[in-house]
Amino acid sequence: MSMFTLALKSIQSRKATFLLTFISIAISVMLLLGVQIIKKEANSGFLQPVSGTDLIIGPKSSQIELLLYSVFHIGTPNTLMEYKSYERIQASKNVKWAIPISLGDSHKGYKVVSTNENFFKHYSFANDKKVEFTEGKAFEDMFHVVLGYEVARKLNYKLGDNIVLSHGDAEVSFVHHDELPFKVSGILKPTHTPIDKTLIVTLHAMEAIHDDSPNHFMHRPIKKKSQQHDVHDEDEEHHDESHDKEHGEHEEHHGEEHHGHNEDEHSKNSEKIYKENLSHKVAKKLKKLPTKISAVYVGVESKNAIFGIQRKINNNASEPLSAIIPALAVQDLWEFFEFVQVTLNIISGLVVFIGLLGMLSLILMGVQNRRKEMAILRSIGATPFDIGKLIVGEAAIVCAVSIGLGVVFLYVALFVLSQPLYDTYGFYLQIQPLSLQELAILALIECSAILISFVPAYRIYKQSLIDGMNTHI
Amino acid sequence: MIELNNMQFSWKDTLILDIEHLNIKSNEKVFIQGESGSGKSTLLNLLAGVITPQKGEVIINNSHLNTMKNSQRDSFRANHIGFIFQQFNLIPYLNLIENIILPCKFSYSRKEKALKNSRSLEEEAIRLLANLGINASSILKRSVSELSIGQQQRVAIARALIGSPDIIIADEPTSALDSNHKASFVKMLFDECEKENITLVFVSHDESLKSHFQRCIELSSINSVKAEEVE
Repeated sequence: MSMFTLALKSIQSRKATFLLTFISIAISVMLLLGVQIIKKEANSGFLQPVSGTDLIIGPKSSQIELLLYSVFHIGTPNTLMEYKSYERIQASKNVKWAIPISLGDSHKGYKVVSTNENFFKHYSFANDKKVEFTEGKAFEDMFHVVLGYEVARKLNYKLGDNIVLSHGDAEVSFVHHDELPFKVSGILKPTHTPIDKTLIVTLHAMEAIHDDSPNHFMHRPIKKKSQQHDVHDEDEEHHDESHDKEHGEHEEHHGEEHHGHNEDEHSKNSEKIYKENLSHKVAKKLKKLPTKISAVYVGVESKNAIFGIQRKINNNASEPLSAIIPALAVQDLWEFFEFVQVTLNIISGLVVFIGLLGMLSLILMGVQNRRKEMAILRSIGATPFDIGKLIVGEAAIVCAVSIGLGVVFLYVALFVLSQPLYDTYGFYLQIQPLSLQELAILALIECSAILISFVPAYRIYKQSLIDGMNTHI
Repeated sequence: MIELNNMQFSWKDTLILDIEHLNIKSNEKVFIQGESGSGKSTLLNLLAGVITPQKGEVIINNSHLNTMKNSQRDSFRANHIGFIFQQFNLIPYLNLIENIILPCKFSYSRKEKALKNSRSLEEEAIRLLANLGINASSILKRSVSELSIGQQQRVAIARALIGSPDIIIADEPTSALDSNHKASFVKMLFDECEKENITLVFVSHDESLKSHFQRCIELSSINSVKAEEVE
């Protein structure tokens, strides 16, 4: 039986006494590691969605603002940028690809991003991963919508389902674009980026549902008869076409009636199955591109070109624009939070220290009460050094047990918190084994405990030199 | 076996023990009598090598304790001497068996000797307890603090006996026992020392026990420092 086994049994017999010490050190360990892990996860969580994007270009704004709304859909842009600028950027030298992004609408609290096919072709995240589909495919039709993994899962949508977008990004919106529902054409695999919580539609569709010019859609007050007629003429495949033509004079009236009927049918079916209506056909005929968009993601031909393009965009004369390097913007954002993290580190470090002090005081109290025990150990041949080792061993065990407990606490907390964190903040907490750095922190705590125990160990060493085997204390 | 020559020991400049000569032969059972404060505990600590005299020699088994290094004395003690204290003989967080076999963890030679008698240390502990009239199986599961004082003292004998040390030093081992138990305790101790050829040094202030011993030494008669001076 080494001194270590003795120490183990000694602590075992005093579990209850040490319970509070165990818990306080465990909680401090949990805090300390928790801060590290959240920092690390948040950092990668912020970097992953932009890891494949070299530049983000938007209307003149601060880089953090632009980053937050264009990638994380936090906040709303004050101004928009010209679609023409996007076309210019895309055409400019050294630009490999450009993805236009337009924001503003939502569906049951989930953000809607409108973009073009470049998004599926070029956007990458988390070290060159492209977005992939669990089912379906990217939009082939103007009114197709691709759902992020979370959106489909939470709202239980399937391919072919009918979706009505809402204006604005409030959880509850009173303005619905219900004249132009969308059809689910694809559902993405989880990306653990904000894309999981977005609906992706075409820029054309976005423009169509927001087009305020009064004469585009039949349900709106129709003023120009001729235009209405045009629409019908162009709409060759419409099943009422021949009927409309036959009835000549009653065309407008009938058309309206028909549309009313169509809408009724639509609202009956709108719950589930998408059905193309007249408004869709009109919009498709017009197929207007927006004049304004929110931002552009850019990939460059060579990394060396990034700064050149950035400078050019920032000095752009035709329209005030900002170009940010997302990785640097994340860094900036991070520095902003640095002091919070430092504060948390200091606090949890102090909690560890207090926990260790609690342990120290318990052991020191024991030193006085255990003089007889030490005398017995001395009598059977334990050296004063052995007795010192017993005390150090006890501290080491108490601290190791507490650390173990703290790690258990930590993982329980991570498991419990990860889903709510993701649901509420879209912050994906990847649960991983402890990193070397975190293990080093634990080792440091253990070493501090051992170091701190030299105080009582030295006292008991001196004590047992003096007491010897004297049990008449 | 035990020999003290011209030995002086002081604590904080006060002379406590000054013994010109003391010789205890092998297998002898010696009763050392002294009032409290007469330096009994100091003498035991000197015999055990926990402390060393400032002057003179302590020779046990032909080994000069006074010239050994601290660690050598500690392992010498572990190998050659068994102890029985007044009370509180047992480590509270170890069970009965663990308490008895504890000396074997500090001394390889005692472990070897113990394993000559039994296949395992645990078996040896149970055998020793049985010799002392304790049916180990009935109290094995109990915490040592639940044992009666009498039982505790017998467990202490078992611990002192395990691995047959050369000497057993008993420091007031009966003071917590009532008179009936005292006699049987001393007899038990004698029997076991007899069997294992162990030298017994029994220290007490209790004169009633004197009669059991072959030899009785009054501490005040060999210590030239007077008790009042020590106090």
